[in-house]
Amino acid sequence: MTTTSTVTIAASMRGGTKDYGSGDAAVRALDGLDVDIAQSEFTAIMGPSGSGKSTLLHTLAGLDRLTAGESWIGEQQITGLSEDKITQVRRDKIGFVFQAFNLIPSLSARENITLPLDIAGRDVDPQWFEEIIAILGLGDRLTHLPAELSGGQQQRVAVARALVARPELIFADEPSGNLDSRSGAELLGFMRRAVKEFGQTIVMVTHDPTAASYSDRVLFLADGRIVDEMREPTADRVLDRMKQMGH
Amino acid sequence: MFRLAVKSVKHNPKRLVLTAVAVALGVALAATTFTLTNALSSGFTKLFEEIYAGTDVIVEADPDADPADEDPFAATESLFSHADVEDVAAVDGVASAWGGRQVMGSVLAADFEPTNDVMAGGGPPSQLFNWAGDPRVDQATLVEGDGPTADDEIVLDLDAAPRLGYAIGDTVSVATEAGVEEFTLVGLVRFGESNSLQGATLGYMTDARSAAINGDDGYEQVSVIVEDGADQDAVAEAIGAILPPDTRAITGEAKAAEQTEQFDELLQYIDIFAIAFALIALFVGAYIIVNTFRIIVTQRTREFGLLRAIGVSGRQLRTMILLEALVVAVVSSTIGIALGYLGALGLSTLVEAFSGDIFGTVTLPIDAVLWGYGLGALVTIIAAIMPAIHASTISPMEALRESATESKKPLRLRNVVGGALTLLGVLAIVAGLYLGIEKPYIPVGAGAMILIIGVTLLAAQVLVPLAYGLKATLTRVFRVDGKLAANNIHREPRRSANTAAALMIGVMLLALVATFTESMKSLVTEQFKGNSADFFVFTSQGAIPEGAIEVIEGEDGVAYVTSTGLGTVLVDGATTNVGVIDPETADLAFDYNNEPDFDQMDGGAFIDPSMVEAGFEVGDDITVEGPEGSATLTITGKYLNEGDAQVWVDEDTGHELLGDYPIAQSMVVLDEGVDATAAQDQILEALAVDYPLVVLQSPGEFEQLANQFIDLLLGIISAMLGAALIIALLGVANTLLLSVTERTREIGLLRAVGVRRRSIRRMIRIESMVMAVFGTVLGMILGVGLGAALVRALEDFGFTTITIPWVWLLIYTIAAALAGVLAAVWPARRAAKLDILQAIAFDG
Ligand SMILES: Nc1ncnc2c1ncn2[C@@H]1O[C@H](COP(=O)(O)OP(=O)(O)O)[C@@H](O)[C@H]1O
Ligand SMILES: [Mg+2]
Repeated sequence: MTTTSTVTIAASMRGGTKDYGSGDAAVRALDGLDVDIAQSEFTAIMGPSGSGKSTLLHTLAGLDRLTAGESWIGEQQITGLSEDKITQVRRDKIGFVFQAFNLIPSLSARENITLPLDIAGRDVDPQWFEEIIAILGLGDRLTHLPAELSGGQQQRVAVARALVARPELIFADEPSGNLDSRSGAELLGFMRRAVKEFGQTIVMVTHDPTAASYSDRVLFLADGRIVDEMREPTADRVLDRMKQMGH
Repeated sequence: MFRLAVKSVKHNPKRLVLTAVAVALGVALAATTFTLTNALSSGFTKLFEEIYAGTDVIVEADPDADPADEDPFAATESLFSHADVEDVAAVDGVASAWGGRQVMGSVLAADFEPTNDVMAGGGPPSQLFNWAGDPRVDQATLVEGDGPTADDEIVLDLDAAPRLGYAIGDTVSVATEAGVEEFTLVGLVRFGESNSLQGATLGYMTDARSAAINGDDGYEQVSVIVEDGADQDAVAEAIGAILPPDTRAITGEAKAAEQTEQFDELLQYIDIFAIAFALIALFVGAYIIVNTFRIIVTQRTREFGLLRAIGVSGRQLRTMILLEALVVAVVSSTIGIALGYLGALGLSTLVEAFSGDIFGTVTLPIDAVLWGYGLGALVTIIAAIMPAIHASTISPMEALRESATESKKPLRLRNVVGGALTLLGVLAIVAGLYLGIEKPYIPVGAGAMILIIGVTLLAAQVLVPLAYGLKATLTRVFRVDGKLAANNIHREPRRSANTAAALMIGVMLLALVATFTESMKSLVTEQFKGNSADFFVFTSQGAIPEGAIEVIEGEDGVAYVTSTGLGTVLVDGATTNVGVIDPETADLAFDYNNEPDFDQMDGGAFIDPSMVEAGFEVGDDITVEGPEGSATLTITGKYLNEGDAQVWVDEDTGHELLGDYPIAQSMVVLDEGVDATAAQDQILEALAVDYPLVVLQSPGEFEQLANQFIDLLLGIISAMLGAALIIALLGVANTLLLSVTERTREIGLLRAVGVRRRSIRRMIRIESMVMAVFGTVLGMILGVGLGAALVRALEDFGFTTITIPWVWLLIYTIAAALAGVLAAVWPARRAAKLDILQAIAFDG
């Protein structure tokens, strides 16, 4: 936006406002928020519980609609699109990793991974598939059903699924939140490699400073606004910043 | 999408098992009937081919003759004289012509004892003919002894003779309308190739004897053998040219084909009947499918949300659910068709063990397959549409929500739609029953369906306060288990209502039939109230012989016998059934519903309501034409019920119009003070000499007999509805099972805080019983209501009182409660078996 003309914007939001409920029970989750997500960057969103992290992620990804304001995925403005069009944008340009329940229980790991391509009717690029599988170490788990996989393995399958269609953007909401520290570290390492080696763009919500330290840039959220940001974060710096925010 | 649908069905087949069973049962019902009627058809096709195998051309009454033609009574008379037969024989290309006639009579078993049991003379009838001595004409080949050459000789088929206890040389008794005739058995014949007579007795006597017994030396048909090399069709045409009017010549082949076709038409009605019951069963099954898919959609909300998040559109989700339904439909229809075929195989074996081989080869006809898959797929898909639409509205955000229970949408829309449908259904039924529409069963049937759906929708609203109301009672009686059960029922009112409604339909139909049949019994009782006859005369075959009535009249203690005869006449040119009564005695013996009394008939005619509708009035003159003569009669009164005849005349007029007419009903009145039981024995003994198949029934016995038939009817229909009821119970089990899975975590929690396994089981059982009894009570209310409406609509047929079948209703309620316990067995066991820790850790 400013002087660095080499940066391409993968997603952005202007004046993003989101209200839940009405009357006395009304809650403003996003409050006129502006944000740009740079391509091929690993962006982390941090903030206290209830600050609007998930809401930002959902509205940015087109899972939920803004009450006011505009948002774009790449060049495509998604505010104002019909539900079917938004679905198509999600299908073609976006990958997701949730905190839990990422996989369809009736499909094997391999089928879960290729699901976005199957839905879009696109062919699997076998080389790309093998590469992802090798990096994520899922080679011997492909025929297993989700119920037969550990939590860490399930999340890795989810990341593989997000990567396989080469989406423009991957959104992840506390992907390591349910994992023990070793599995979590592994998963975040993989995500970082995807950004560094393949130029993948990832936006991740987390409340864990260690998780945030894997990213290139951390956005700090409070009461539905971005209050600060940090480049090249380390766990300690992030933790300090969070303490300042009264977390 | 298709792969995902198949995977999903395969991944968790258990939750679809009962759904599949429900569809399979309904499909099996249709497939069984189709297979059986197909086998019957092939069996009878073979029979007809054998009957007409040797005969090249058959000359007979023309079934297509216009009944309003000059001679509408041709079919009732002997058609062909000796001269006619000779004329046919003289036609070019005819090798020989033989006049054939049938003798009405029953071959009595060697050990026959006259009894007062109307059914005793029943069973397959005897087919007795004049013997030509040419196997091509007789369709039977002599296999032992000689053919009948003297007038006191007879031959029987080789299976009947030993069955009835006769050997060659024995004296054979045959009960005919003219009395018991005796013959000597001189030979045995085989019918066609394998003597497959479907249990009937076949016999032949001389031409002269058959003419003497019939009292008529004319023939009913002429069998023609053509010369070698002659063209059968050409000969048939040549014969046709010289025939009397309203008769025809047809080749044996064409005749066999025609009979097969007619029989197949008859079988089609059976098929339609079976499809109706299969549809009822599948309709009930549809409720289970709706519930199953609803629950599945709820349970998979997060899965669907996830799919939506990664780019699956709502439409694609809907397609996926429907595809899942289709997979279920195909699998279960296949099972159903296979089951149906096996069922048909079993049934045909069973039936043949009792009544000989009446079925041809039992093969699976294409009809059974088409209807099976068609019905199965149709019902499943239709039932899955609503849940599928529901699934397509799931937003991607729901993937991220924690709980997976059905949304608590208010029931308002459901109530409005339900109320409207209920009203619409009632209106359609009322219109069908009372507006005198041409095909009343169409609005009535459609109305009933709409009403059922309407009531199902409303039931959800009724269930909520009901469950709240029951809570106090259930809590008092069953403590915490009762309270939890009541909570579960109103927690998912839609689901509980659908479950109860499946049972409601079955019970409704049962209650309807019971109301109708019980009212029918009242009708019978009512009819006997105004009755002063001591006995009714019956015969197990054909009309009551004139001679038998003379015998009864001749006995001491008999005051008089009053009889009703039936015939066909033309009234002002229109074919009409006429009843013949004795005006002096008819009203004395029986309280007919007429105006004025029959003794005011005065040589005129009484007309029934249909004639009044046609515009005839008391005082009008009508021209009545019968086979024996015609008369102009003044209408002197009205018969107020619809009955067997539209016009009633006295005996003199009857003879004038009809000559000798068959007697349909006779009543015996004894002298004052005569002991009825003794008189009955005495009359029976007198009848046994010449008319052993004629029996007497007192009104009490008759009423009992009539009631037996009504009960039989009720039994048959109930059995046919059994499939629907079984499916409904599967529905209760299915819903409970699925909601146990859904409540796994909650049940685990209950167990963790100390609720015992027994209590969990009891909670499920109470839930099941409440739903079952609720469905049953709703069904009974609807069924009795519809039954009463039906009875009211049939007032013209003499139905006066609506009898509510209290005993049956009580039985249904108790049965429903027991069925509820039964349906809960499996779900309750599942719930109680849940491991506490696993249950708590269970993830949606
Ligand atoms: N579906 C919802 N309905 C009502 N309020 C909601 C809903 N989702 C989130 N909120 C509210 O919006 C605010 C932001 O929530 P969220 O974005 O989930 O925060 P975070 O992910 O940072 O914890 C909170 O106050 C939360 O209670
Ligand atoms: Mg959150």
